[in-house]
Amino acid sequence: MTRFPRLSSAVLVAFGFLAAGSAHADDWGTIKGRFVLSGDAAAPVELKIDKDVDVCGKHKLVAEELMVGGDKGVANVVVFVRDKGVKVKPEAAAAAASTKVVLDNKDCRFQPHVTFVQVGQELVVKNSDTIGHNSNIATQKNAPSNNLIPAGGEATVKFTTDEAIPAQVTCNIHPWMKGWLVVRPNPYAAVSAADGSFEIKDVPAGEVELQFWHEKAGYIAEMTIGGKSEKASKGRKKVAVAASGTDLGEIGLAPAIFQK
Amino acid sequence: MRQSSPSHRFVAAIIAIVTVAAVGCGKTPPASFRLNMVQATKATVPESGLEKPWASWSRERQQQVATILEAMFGTPDEPVALPETGLDLAKLQLAAGPVRSDIVGRKNGLYREHCAHCHGISGDGMGPTAAFLNPYPRDYRQGKFKFKSTWRDAKPTHDDLVRLLHEGVIGTSMPSFALLPPAQVDALAEYVKYLSMRGEAEIALFTYAEQELGADEALPTTKEFLVDEVLTPIAEKWQGAADARIPVAAIPAGVDFNLPGNDLANRDSVARGKALFLGDGGCVKCHGVTALGDGQANDYDDWNKAIVAVSAEVAVGLLSSKEAATGGMSSDALADHRARSAWLDSFAHVLEGDALRPRTIPPRNLRIGHYRGGRRPIDLYRRLYTGINGAPMPGVGPSGPGGKGSVADEEIWHLVNYIRSLPYEMDGELGADRPMVAKDRF
Repeated sequence: MTRFPRLSSAVLVAFGFLAAGSAHADDWGTIKGRFVLSGDAAAPVELKIDKDVDVCGKHKLVAEELMVGGDKGVANVVVFVRDKGVKVKPEAAAAAASTKVVLDNKDCRFQPHVTFVQVGQELVVKNSDTIGHNSNIATQKNAPSNNLIPAGGEATVKFTTDEAIPAQVTCNIHPWMKGWLVVRPNPYAAVSAADGSFEIKDVPAGEVELQFWHEKAGYIAEMTIGGKSEKASKGRKKVAVAASGTDLGEIGLAPAIFQK
Repeated sequence: MRQSSPSHRFVAAIIAIVTVAAVGCGKTPPASFRLNMVQATKATVPESGLEKPWASWSRERQQQVATILEAMFGTPDEPVALPETGLDLAKLQLAAGPVRSDIVGRKNGLYREHCAHCHGISGDGMGPTAAFLNPYPRDYRQGKFKFKSTWRDAKPTHDDLVRLLHEGVIGTSMPSFALLPPAQVDALAEYVKYLSMRGEAEIALFTYAEQELGADEALPTTKEFLVDEVLTPIAEKWQGAADARIPVAAIPAGVDFNLPGNDLANRDSVARGKALFLGDGGCVKCHGVTALGDGQANDYDDWNKAIVAVSAEVAVGLLSSKEAATGGMSSDALADHRARSAWLDSFAHVLEGDALRPRTIPPRNLRIGHYRGGRRPIDLYRRLYTGINGAPMPGVGPSGPGGKGSVADEEIWHLVNYIRSLPYEMDGELGADRPMVAKDRF
C-alpha cells in the first residue's frame, strides 16, 4: 500500500517513514479532539426556499456554513492526514474497499453536509426526496460530475485521485443546497460531529502532518490547543501519534476566522 | 467590468506614447499572453507572518508562473509544442502570430484574424469585443467545452472542434467558418487545443502554489514536476478524447426522425418523451412545464460562477477588513492585517479589469427550435446523455462507462423526439393555465 508520492511532499514522507520506522512496526494510534468556538456564534440564517416550496418549504432549512452545537462544538471541520505515503493499516484499507459511502439528497439538503470518500471507494448519491435533484460535484483533479437523480433514484461515482481541498457539491435545481466532499487516498480523515468532536483511528504511530479545513474559514491557520495559541500555515500541523492514542483535547477556534 | 478609471486610462496613454517613442512608429511590441489574474490572485492569498510586503511576494510568484509557461508554451508569436502535448507545431505556426502571408503566399496568423477579437490573444474569452456579447465568448483556459461527442468530463475530439468551427453556434455570436479552407479550420482547432492546454497548465501551477507551497517556497522547475506532473495529465486527456466518445443506443421502433416531430407516426414516441420530460428526466425543473426555459432563471455556468464566488468573498472581506479595529493590534497582527487588505484591494481591482461581469445562464427555451450544439437528433441525444459540461444542465445518461443514468439510453431517443416536436406544438395544447410566454412580456 506504500505508494511513492508524486507531489513534492517527498521530504515529509521520508520523515514519516523514519518516524514510523522508529516506532514498533505494528503500532497504530487514534487521534482525537474537539473543535470549540472561543466566542459566541450567531444563530444560523434561515434559507429562503423558492423552488418546490410545497416539498422543501416545510423543513425549516438553515444555511449550514457554520454549525455550532451544544458546548460550542464546531461541526463540519475537516481533518485529514496530509502525508501522501502514510502507511495504512491493512484492515482499514480492506474495510474501505468493501464499503460504499452514501450521500443522500434528503429533506432538500445534502446529508451528510460534509461527506468523506476514499479514492477507489464507491460513492452512492441517493435521492430520498419525492422530487428530482441533481448533484453537481465540482472536483478539481477528478472528473467533475453532474448527475440528475430522480425521486427515489441513485447514481454512483468513483474517484481516481485525491483532492487537496474538499470539493463543493451543489444542486442546480435547488440553489440553496450546498455540501462538500472530501476525497482522500487513505482512511485517515474525519469530519467533526455536531458536538465538534472528531476521531481518526488506526493512524501509524510516529509523526504525521494533519491538515485542518472548514468551508467558511478555509485552511484553519490559527487555533488554540491545550490553552496555547498555535499558528498552522495552510492549516497544517504536525502531531505525534502514540500507540496509546493522541488526544488533542479542546481545539479553540476564534470566531474571527469564520468572518472572512 | 472592463472599463478603467480616468487615471488608469491616463497611465495607459502615457505608456502607449512612451512605447511608441521607444520602439518607433509603425512597430508594435510583440504580443504576449496575459496571466490568468483571477487564478493568480486567488493563489496568492497572504499567509500569516509573511516576511516581504504582499505585493512583491505575490509578484514574484506570478512572475515565476509566467516564466515557466513561456518556457513550456512559448509566446503568441512563437508557440512551443513540447512532444508530450502531441500538438502539431506546423499547424500552430499557421494559426499563431500576426496576420501575414508566408514565403509561398499562404495565410498565417489565422487565430488573430478570425478569433482573437472575441476569444482574446490568450484564449481567455476576453478579447476587445467580449464584453459586448451575450453569451460571452468561451474562455478556453479551463479546458471545458460544451458541445462534443464525448463523456461530460472528457475533452472534445479534434473533429468536434472542427465541426463547431464549421457550423458556428446558433443563438450566439460565434459564426460559421465554413468558408475557410479545411486546412485553416484544422489549424485553428489545433491552436484552440494549444491555448486550452496552456490555460489548464497555468491553473494547475497556481493551484499547486496555493495548496502545496509554503510562503517562502518556489515552484519546482524539474522536468518531473512540470512535464510529468503538470503537463502530461492534461495532454493525456486531450489525446484520449477520441476514445472517450459516449455510446449511442440504437433508435427504437416508432421513432422516425425523417418526419417532423409532430407527425402522427411519432405520436407514441413523443408521448413517451413528454412523460420523461415531466418525470424522471427532471427537465421541467429548469426548462419549465411548458419548456419555455422559465423554470430556473438565477443560475450561473462554471465560468461565471467562479467569478460570482470570489466577488462575494472579496466584498465580505473588504467590509470586515475596513471595520477591523487596528488600534489594539500587535505589530504582527497589524502586518497580517495589512497584507490581507492589500490582497483584497488587489483582488477587487482584478475583478474589475480582468473578469467580465457575471451573467446568469437561462435554460434554453425549447419552443424556438434553436439548439446551440447542433440540431441533428444525435446532437440532442448527446446533450441529454451527458448534460452540458460547464453549464448547470445535468446528464440523464450515466456519468461514465458502466454507470447507470436516470433515463435508459434508448429511451433518450423519445426525449429527443419530444423536444423536436416542441416548436410545432400549438399554443392551445398548453392549456388555459399557460404561463407567461416571451411575447407577453413586451
